[in-house]
Amino acid sequence: MNRVKRSLLTGIAGAALATASAAAMAQAGNEWLHYGGDQSNTRYSSLSQINNGNVKNLRVLWMHSLGSLESQQSTPLVVGDTMYVTTSTGPKYVFALDAKTGKVKWKHEPEMPNDYFATVCCGLDNRGVAYANGKVYFGRLDARLVALDANTGKELWNVAVADYKKGHAITSPPVVYKNLVVTGIAGGEYGIRGFVEAYDQNSGQSAWKTYTIPGAGEPGNETWKGDSWKTGAGSTWYVGSYDPKLNLVYWSTSNAGPWGGHTRGNDSSDILPYTNLWTSSQLAFDGDTGKIVWGYQYTPSDVWDYDGVNEGVLADINIGGQKTPALMHADRNGFFYVLNRQNGKLLSAEPVVPVNWAKGVDLKTGMPVEDPTKRPRLGVWARNVCPNLIGGKNWEPMSYSPQTGLAYIPLFNMCMDIASKEEEYTPGKFYLASEFNLDMAGSEGANLSELVAWDPVAKKKAWGIKEDLPFLSGTMTTAGGLVFYGNQHGVLKAVDAKTGNVLWQFNVGTGILQSPITYVVGGKQYVAVVAGRTKGPPSFFGKIGQRVIDASPEGGVLVVFAL
Amino acid sequence: MVSKSRGAALRCAVAATALVLAPVMTAAADEASERPINPYEGRTELVPEGKSLFNQYCSHCHGPDAVQGERPRDLRRLRIRYGDNAIGVFYTTINNGRMDKGMPPWKGVLEEDVVWRIFTFLSAVQTQP
Repeated sequence: MNRVKRSLLTGIAGAALATASAAAMAQAGNEWLHYGGDQSNTRYSSLSQINNGNVKNLRVLWMHSLGSLESQQSTPLVVGDTMYVTTSTGPKYVFALDAKTGKVKWKHEPEMPNDYFATVCCGLDNRGVAYANGKVYFGRLDARLVALDANTGKELWNVAVADYKKGHAITSPPVVYKNLVVTGIAGGEYGIRGFVEAYDQNSGQSAWKTYTIPGAGEPGNETWKGDSWKTGAGSTWYVGSYDPKLNLVYWSTSNAGPWGGHTRGNDSSDILPYTNLWTSSQLAFDGDTGKIVWGYQYTPSDVWDYDGVNEGVLADINIGGQKTPALMHADRNGFFYVLNRQNGKLLSAEPVVPVNWAKGVDLKTGMPVEDPTKRPRLGVWARNVCPNLIGGKNWEPMSYSPQTGLAYIPLFNMCMDIASKEEEYTPGKFYLASEFNLDMAGSEGANLSELVAWDPVAKKKAWGIKEDLPFLSGTMTTAGGLVFYGNQHGVLKAVDAKTGNVLWQFNVGTGILQSPITYVVGGKQYVAVVAGRTKGPPSFFGKIGQRVIDASPEGGVLVVFAL
Repeated sequence: MVSKSRGAALRCAVAATALVLAPVMTAAADEASERPINPYEGRTELVPEGKSLFNQYCSHCHGPDAVQGERPRDLRRLRIRYGDNAIGVFYTTINNGRMDKGMPPWKGVLEEDVVWRIFTFLSAVQTQP
């Protein structure tokens, strides 16, 4: 493997740690080996051949049709000179392409059952593969985990992680380290009980499985009213991070199930003892045993669908003069958290969007200070709650640059009305017990989203780019001083990472949800992005959703750029 | 479903939990004699409750208040698409689902009474051709 070493990185301002532990947390260079660029989910590339001086010359080199419509959310991987990319709807395909020319090396077409669609809540999504030791791994919407030979595409093993008919699915790539491939599970809208499970990379045998909701008699089970833990959700549908020095796998959990909280607590802002662990929480699992080492709950007794699943970005940052092993997380609930990733201690929690469901987070107790009028209750509407259930930030990933010390976050600016309703649990059916209106703008400004550069140490916004429509893509940042992101109009932009000036843009013809990646083959740097307008979420946004649907047609395309 | 007189249908609606469905409609639900009847037809005072039920059970796919940008999911277009047979398609689809399109079957999960209140709301918001 031709990996750019940290020692070659020059001119990096203050924040980066140059120790053996940092070298183990290697950054993306010529290759893009993990969903988030590296195991820390920084989406930072050390490449600078394309930079803020020449990016204006970026042009399309080749394209590849993905063969499916619906939301395209895949982050391609580049290993050597091979690119691995998945599509929506299954995935319908897993492709291995020549990363330089786009020529197809092999394609894998999963045999999907024709009845999984009703147990996927929010879009037929697939966010990519993981690669390790000559194999690629991916999850399927029928809750299966598959290993393929990376050279030939031959299926090596294929396991049912859970029963899809009971509401389970897998939408995100697993995490790989040592001999293990670790997956989360989706289904928080179907009353499942969330878990994280590790499999042996070679044999596909389960190595460990840890539920995120403690069972009867287990510590934390007392935070659930009666038997409500059995359908408590706490799913793990997004991606994890891994620290090889600490041997900790970080994963975070979804909303509590059902959305209506009267079933599982006091139905008031007086939530204790029913915090509903470990929903809407950050967890750290021992890499070998899967035991939960520490947990911090972002939204106790969640009733707003504030999933805590967003990525945990690992970086060593300077807090109060001390180099701190941090985990940074921009939550659905509108707060940007900095935790100590070694012990889970809460270091800061600042709103990055207008937030009114809570006045702030008490740093001593770690608990949010709620506004009781913004908590929906059985038959009682909470009006104009900000952020809405799509969140201040959703799954679309942020990036973090050690060069600028800034996090680049795609944010929403919307509020909602929401109330809890009576509803019985039925296996395989939506279990929300909630009614909501999302066709509402935010409390400040007509823009429904904003790309924000956030300083996690100074706890303030450096710059922002307001956009008219919600659903901005994930972001990628590079040592070339650039940030890349896209929107539902289909416009991909390259922005100066320090100033926020837009230096280049190109319309790929359909909405962009996922950040691009960048890589080098044969000494030349490329930028690749997957595009296909979001489908699913806009359907419950009324007239705002109509505007997103009208912004561009659905699509499925991979576009590669170079200078 | 065997066609019932209006009076019989209303009595069945009142005793909703005792309502027994006749054999399920065939796919060719365009025979007027086999078309189901909305026991709440014309009861405009039930529209707000039907809307609330729709929002609770259907809106996460079909849109709050049935406002929907994705054409295939837009239930305001039932009449444009199916004409007089809209009620038949609605009833069959709610009961049996469309598994390859992500619509789950609601038979046995949603009571008849709820289904017809929802239809009463939908009837009030149909897009004019």
